Amino acid sequence: MKLLELKNKNSQEVKALLNIKDRDNLVERFCSIGMPNKKSEEYRYFDIEKLLDKEYKTLDYIPKTPKISDKIEIVDGVVVASPKGMRIYNEACNNIDLNHFDPLYYLGHLLSTQTIKIELDGDVEVEIEHRFTKSDTLINYRIVLYNQTNRHATVYENFISQNIENTLVLYGYDMHLAQDSTLRVVKMHSMKDNSYSMIASHKVNVAKNANAILKSFDVGGANALQLLKVELAQYAHVDAGHLLYLNKDSKRGTISQIVHVGEHSTSKQEAKNILDGKSRGIFDALIHVEQSAKYAKAEQNSKAILLHEDAYMVAKPKLEIYIDELEASHGATTGQLDKKQLFYLQSRGISLIDAKKMLVIAFANTLIEQVKDTRQQERIKASFEEVFYRAYN
Amino acid sequence: MSNTVMKIENLQAKIGDKEILKGLNLELEAGKVHAIMGPNGAGKSTLSKALVGHYDIEVLGGDIIYKGKSIIDMDAEQRALEGIFLSFQHPVEIPGVNNAYFLRTALNAKRKHEGKEELNAAEFLRLMREHLEMLGMKSDMISRSLNEGFSGGEKKRNEILQMLILEPEVIILDEIDSGLDIDALRAVSEGINKMKDGKRTFLVITHYSRILDYIEPDYIHVLKGGRIIKTSGAELVAQLEEHGYDALEEE
Repeated sequence: MKLLELKNKNSQEVKALLNIKDRDNLVERFCSIGMPNKKSEEYRYFDIEKLLDKEYKTLDYIPKTPKISDKIEIVDGVVVASPKGMRIYNEACNNIDLNHFDPLYYLGHLLSTQTIKIELDGDVEVEIEHRFTKSDTLINYRIVLYNQTNRHATVYENFISQNIENTLVLYGYDMHLAQDSTLRVVKMHSMKDNSYSMIASHKVNVAKNANAILKSFDVGGANALQLLKVELAQYAHVDAGHLLYLNKDSKRGTISQIVHVGEHSTSKQEAKNILDGKSRGIFDALIHVEQSAKYAKAEQNSKAILLHEDAYMVAKPKLEIYIDELEASHGATTGQLDKKQLFYLQSRGISLIDAKKMLVIAFANTLIEQVKDTRQQERIKASFEEVFYRAYN
Repeated sequence: MSNTVMKIENLQAKIGDKEILKGLNLELEAGKVHAIMGPNGAGKSTLSKALVGHYDIEVLGGDIIYKGKSIIDMDAEQRALEGIFLSFQHPVEIPGVNNAYFLRTALNAKRKHEGKEELNAAEFLRLMREHLEMLGMKSDMISRSLNEGFSGGEKKRNEILQMLILEPEVIILDEIDSGLDIDALRAVSEGINKMKDGKRTFLVITHYSRILDYIEPDYIHVLKGGRIIKTSGAELVAQLEEHGYDALEEE
């Protein structure tokens, strides 16, 4: 299958190409936005057409009975293991956002007649391991996640690939945070080579008084993009943090829209980007405050450190505000390592190269240390340092 | 001087377009306390930066001889490894770099340079604890980010802690007393006096004589207009207090 064949097609043609008989709303929405191309605002810096123009094998979706494990294991889009008692189903998603900005959010849904539905019971802590084993393949799946009112759940995400090449992963979440709940999602995505590319398109609904904490740690030299839309109800809060460390000629980043719908909703978004080699980091983030969201508070910041003269950061923090009664701030800085800090370390006998490493790791640590669980924090630190030291030595 | 550890010869240096040191000559005697005093803008901080190879400084001429060899072309880390230490007037904050980790890295870099074995975490913590108590520092300061959120006094104590751990041979104290209350000044001075063992050399750069009540100097050098214009014993302090710098003529 070549996804670029869907370009400039009408809804009948799309349905025929994807072999879909119903789901008219989604198809219409997908066609109205159109396939992403190099002129699309969200994908302008990403070379999306190159990925969509490849011929991929497709996979038949055959659900399996999961074996018992201490984590949820998803192999090529199929759940193969899960913790005992965890409620995981395969079913059609009936709660799809019809105003998402990303066409690949819709394409992901159109390609996934069944989604993986996970219901998080109580104050659970669960790890989701995504594993990719097929080369030259389009791996497509979507996850629908629910938590419970008044409960505080945590999800840790990890990714593993096994000697594959030229694969495209399209995946994403539809998360539904119940009223008065907290959901913490910590994603560690280390891509050590160019074995696969990934587009992750998410939608997060945060109900009244709920609290979404979304931390992503993306490191390594491959191409990936996460597209995130968050919708905040009254008194809802999102705390989003993104760490990016890139090397070689990789292109990775975050495209996001945080939509304040409810009064007193609050958002905080912080991106830290460390770019080496000829890499390109992307942070294109919109905070949209609707008329209904009086007294909203929004804060957005991106900081980038360029370790090489060929590295490039696209930082586009944006505010779109329709009311006066709010507090909002945003900003972006791009620069090199602080000369004063480097000198201070050198003046104590630490070599320039070690001083640089120390400062880069310190820059990353300020985000990594926001992960509450120290075991997970250590894992993220180790993954980051492994990729960083390998590239920097 | 019979036992010179450092000799600064006709040093000329500029910061940006401004020439600040204009042929400065100074000899530091090993094991002694040298105080540099001088009015604002005389070049005191420029001198301290020039001695440690700061990137702001462009040396236009002259030389710095340390233990018999020129260090003028050495970078900052080499000078530090050779035993030259600057206690900064305004230590920089480095969020995310753990204070203990930083100090252990610095100490082990020095030990490696000296051909000694590196200290492990437990050995290092033992060493650290001894000094913390003496400086009146809370133990949590070593687990915090380097200088981040430290008060002025805490930053200066942290500089002295580094000095005690790294055991340098030439110690430059740039305005070590600025911003310190009397208790902090006493603790910092105690740390400095602990290092006075007759082998280490101190260069105390100061505006005021207050610190010299606590760290007794052997020599007073007056720096004015980018040059040392007078060198004398500790008795010069009283004279400067009474008549100021303007009364001094170049020797």
